[in-house]
Amino acid sequence: MLLVLLVVVVLNFLMLHLAPGDIADTIAQTMGGADEQDMAELRKQYGLDQPFFIQLFNYVVRVALLDFGHSHFYNLPVFDLIMERFPATLLLVFSAQILSLFVGILLGVYAAQNPNGLSSLFVNMFSLFGYAAPVFWTGILLLIAFSLHIPIFPVSGMRDITIESSNFFVHFFDVLRHLFLPMITLASIFFAYYSRLCRASMLEVLGADFVRTAKAKGLSKKDVLLKHALKNSLSPVITFAGLSFSAVVSGAILVETVYSWPGLGTLAFNSIISRDTPVLLGILIFSTLMVTVGNLLTDLTLKALDPRIKI
Amino acid sequence: MNKHFLKTLLLTATLIFTSLGVSFAEPKKGGTLIAAVGNSPRHLNPAVQSGIVTGFPGAQLFATPIRYDNNWEPQPYLAESWEISDGGKTVRLNLVKDAVFHDGVPIKSSDVKFSLETIKKNHPFKTMFAPVVSVETPDEHTAILKLSSPHPALMLAMSSQLMAIIPEHVYGDGQDPKTHPQNSENVVGSGPFKLVEFKSGEHIILERFDDFFIDGRPYLDKMVLKIIKDPATRTIGLENGEIDFYAFENVARNIVRLKKNDNLTVTPDGYAAIGPIDWLAFNTKDGKTADVNVRRAIAYAIDRNFILKAIMLGVADEARTGIHPGSPFYEPNVEPYNLDIDKANKILDDAGYKKGSDGMRFGLTVDFGWPGLKPNAEYTKAALKKIGIDVTVRASADFPTWAKTVSNHNFDLTWDTVFNWGDPVIGVHRTYQTSNIKKGVIWSNTQQYSNPKVDAIMEKAGVENDMDKRKALYSDLQKMLANDLPVYWTNTLPYHTIYSKKVGNPPMGIWATSSPMDMTYIKD
Amino acid sequence: MLENEEIDEPTIKPVKEIFQTFFKSYSAVTGLFILIGIAVMGFIGPLFYPTDPFDMVWMPFSPPGADGFLLGTDYLGRDILSQIINGARVSIAIGFLAALVSCFIGVGIGSFAGFYGGWVEETLMRITEFFQVLPTLLFAMVIVALFGSSVLSITLAIGAVSWASVARITRSEFLRIKELDFVLASRSSGSNNMALIFRVILPNAAAPIIVQSALLVGAAITFEAGLAFLGLSDPNVISWGQVIGSNRVYILDATYTVTFPGIAIFITVLAISLVGDGLNDALNPKLRSR
Repeated sequence: MLLVLLVVVVLNFLMLHLAPGDIADTIAQTMGGADEQDMAELRKQYGLDQPFFIQLFNYVVRVALLDFGHSHFYNLPVFDLIMERFPATLLLVFSAQILSLFVGILLGVYAAQNPNGLSSLFVNMFSLFGYAAPVFWTGILLLIAFSLHIPIFPVSGMRDITIESSNFFVHFFDVLRHLFLPMITLASIFFAYYSRLCRASMLEVLGADFVRTAKAKGLSKKDVLLKHALKNSLSPVITFAGLSFSAVVSGAILVETVYSWPGLGTLAFNSIISRDTPVLLGILIFSTLMVTVGNLLTDLTLKALDPRIKI
Repeated sequence: MNKHFLKTLLLTATLIFTSLGVSFAEPKKGGTLIAAVGNSPRHLNPAVQSGIVTGFPGAQLFATPIRYDNNWEPQPYLAESWEISDGGKTVRLNLVKDAVFHDGVPIKSSDVKFSLETIKKNHPFKTMFAPVVSVETPDEHTAILKLSSPHPALMLAMSSQLMAIIPEHVYGDGQDPKTHPQNSENVVGSGPFKLVEFKSGEHIILERFDDFFIDGRPYLDKMVLKIIKDPATRTIGLENGEIDFYAFENVARNIVRLKKNDNLTVTPDGYAAIGPIDWLAFNTKDGKTADVNVRRAIAYAIDRNFILKAIMLGVADEARTGIHPGSPFYEPNVEPYNLDIDKANKILDDAGYKKGSDGMRFGLTVDFGWPGLKPNAEYTKAALKKIGIDVTVRASADFPTWAKTVSNHNFDLTWDTVFNWGDPVIGVHRTYQTSNIKKGVIWSNTQQYSNPKVDAIMEKAGVENDMDKRKALYSDLQKMLANDLPVYWTNTLPYHTIYSKKVGNPPMGIWATSSPMDMTYIKD
Repeated sequence: MLENEEIDEPTIKPVKEIFQTFFKSYSAVTGLFILIGIAVMGFIGPLFYPTDPFDMVWMPFSPPGADGFLLGTDYLGRDILSQIINGARVSIAIGFLAALVSCFIGVGIGSFAGFYGGWVEETLMRITEFFQVLPTLLFAMVIVALFGSSVLSITLAIGAVSWASVARITRSEFLRIKELDFVLASRSSGSNNMALIFRVILPNAAAPIIVQSALLVGAAITFEAGLAFLGLSDPNVISWGQVIGSNRVYILDATYTVTFPGIAIFITVLAISLVGDGLNDALNPKLRSR
């Protein structure tokens, strides 16, 4: 784990270091011009004038001491910046994952009941829509449809700051209203993955001995389907959900861009194009930890589903 | 444009705020303005951070000694009056008596001295206050600027976001003002609004400052600046009423679209001092473009009208020189390089660039400084094909990549948008001065253009106090530049302000949103 | 499109049988026909519709159908139909090349890990894990920032970040197959390791790898579009993603400039995944028997 982190840090540090231009150029851009001495001073201030290995060493030592450093662009502690954006991304990613799992499993179960029929084909095609369409494209089209032509959802951001209510539920529903389109957009990519995985493993389980036994024991179709087959076929679906967290985060970057969602994705994107190395590395470390936690949760869920699994 | 511009250096202005140009019904107090901004500022302290992104919140949080009306006339702001003497080498500012910072501490002349010195040391526009030798503070409400030479740009440099008055007792605590923690949080300003919350990437919330030094102002209770990067998203927000106000819109298509909306007002007014110009810069030292004939041929082959009509959809203005057409110094009577393919081909033939068997003479690359100029670069490829120049469009992955390429002079042609920043001394000279050829610095003289006559004329114009003489000097300058053509200027960037009909008195001076919005209000 | 790691029987099947299974599936055949159609359009289409996609042929933003331009014109008055036709070639090429790169890296890493085991496996799978954990889009962006946004570096960046699934599948196949009798037999007959890996085991592990790689082609096409949307594309080459990225700011009025290339991507990726499913069914004995 630590090794992976170290590789993440070194590799990205190196690549961003070698990429043309640096933070001083970005700052010159926001300033509408710059002065030679100012730029030299900036580079000195951020230690960019030092040899690469010293910069890298300094960074790694600081991270080892749990100090993520300061953003060169915002002059704020990286940790604070990440924490400011993290809740938004967490909300988006988790709600989308849960939605896509829920819809995916539902579709999968439905399709598995009649694997070669029309309904199965229909589910297949429906779920493939989200998979085959570029996610930002889906997002923009939804935005145009439901914010412009039928304006029922807000166009950007996560909350309406003008609401001056102390009622928790008012704010809760406000966030929910803002979340709706981004969540659907992000979830749509994964309907296909989950529904098909679920369908396939359901079919497999339905053919297995213990399900036949259950059927023979005279359990109703519903009971067989839900209690036995579904429970046992969830493992591959959840394993895959755990593995796809990084893909969800990638999708989230695009979705956040479309909906101006104030999350980590847009921060990461900006840190690359502005060469704000500490922020990018902070986010990468952070998301690596996130994915690890996600995998751990996956393992725990699997264990809960099937106590025979050892972690 | 008003002829008396800068003659006012010799006048004393009086405290007549109604002269700010706009006549209006009694504005309503209260209300929240929801504005959109396209980018997150680095921080909110304009004394150490220039640029229009910081300028918007910066001009609300911090007051400046003077402000400008829409006729380029300086008006009192934090300085209720001023006197200029000694041939322009002494400028005396008389400050408003009862002004306080957001923390209640009175604004004193020592703060003005501190602010000016901080800006001089840290602001990237070194020419703004370069001739200011010292600031004397004979009493708490008087600051006297001593200059080494006359400096007509000084008045503009004391307005808008360029000379934010920051409290010495906060930013003079020994920390580096550039990285001061109170640049982003707990900002202590001097302007009409104070900071409630700044969340990078989400919003900036400002609130009325009740003890603002102009009684009864500002009218608004609150300003919310939502950070929305995507132009389409912003446009939808304006159309469905989620956003009341957006300045610096430059996507022609959206401007045309929003103009059709009855609930919105769309105007190009207010950007004269910002002065953004789109241009095609040449590398005048290396490669084929070092030959002025090649540069002229390219200019004749690129149809400015196509850019104005087809790419800018008629919302941008023609810019024939490096000075913004809204500036009193603009000289339209220069060689315009109107489309003339035959002439372009003839120039190249005469200069000895023969067409090869494939109809091509030679190849060039074209870069572009930001995504909005991509159509221009792609058009350049198509246009220059007609005169036998094979152009490769080089897309930079991001701004630092482009900046590195161009500032290290590794380019043939590049599209760019550059700002005038009020006075030519601040934003125009830098592009053509021999002394400003600085490798590695973007928006220096990256063309590596050098002409001693041009240098001399700029030096003279920078210290000329007589407005008519100064205009004549800049007129000559523009003619000489158009002849040498280090840059082919095409059009103004079509910045537009879009606001809902319920917004009264949006900032329409010369500095757009980089000016205080203390008179803006929300109608019933 | 799904990773399928649960095959436990030896695999090479008669080619005829594979074809029969594949062509029995309507959806797979439909997908194949669409793909062939798109490829034909991309490679032969320009002969019948010779408008240069870079030429400014008409007024900008002429809507679809008007003035003889079936799909309208873009912000410079370039023919969108021509861009779609010519973009097919580039988009498919990007998809295949990127998938090939992924396949190459993934198979290399996965096969060595699976074959040698021990510390080799440990190290290689760590690297794979690293690529699985990182948000691939960010990583690809960093690579493009480093090497510039030419079509080649974009393609290689996509390939370089997308191989983890191939590596994992290859490894698990190798782990299973290397213990099978025919491998043990050729090992005892003196085959060296390279021969074992590439001549004996790999052909038997090919089925799921092929299926996965086919799906990567589609994924790479959408990936390229995503990068273009974020502003990373090569303006000297017309690909569908590049068309979307360039027209993105005009989406409100000229929605068609983004809709059409989006639909092209959608249909292509859909067709690829249908073909992938068909391949999966045809190559996977377990599913076939169902």
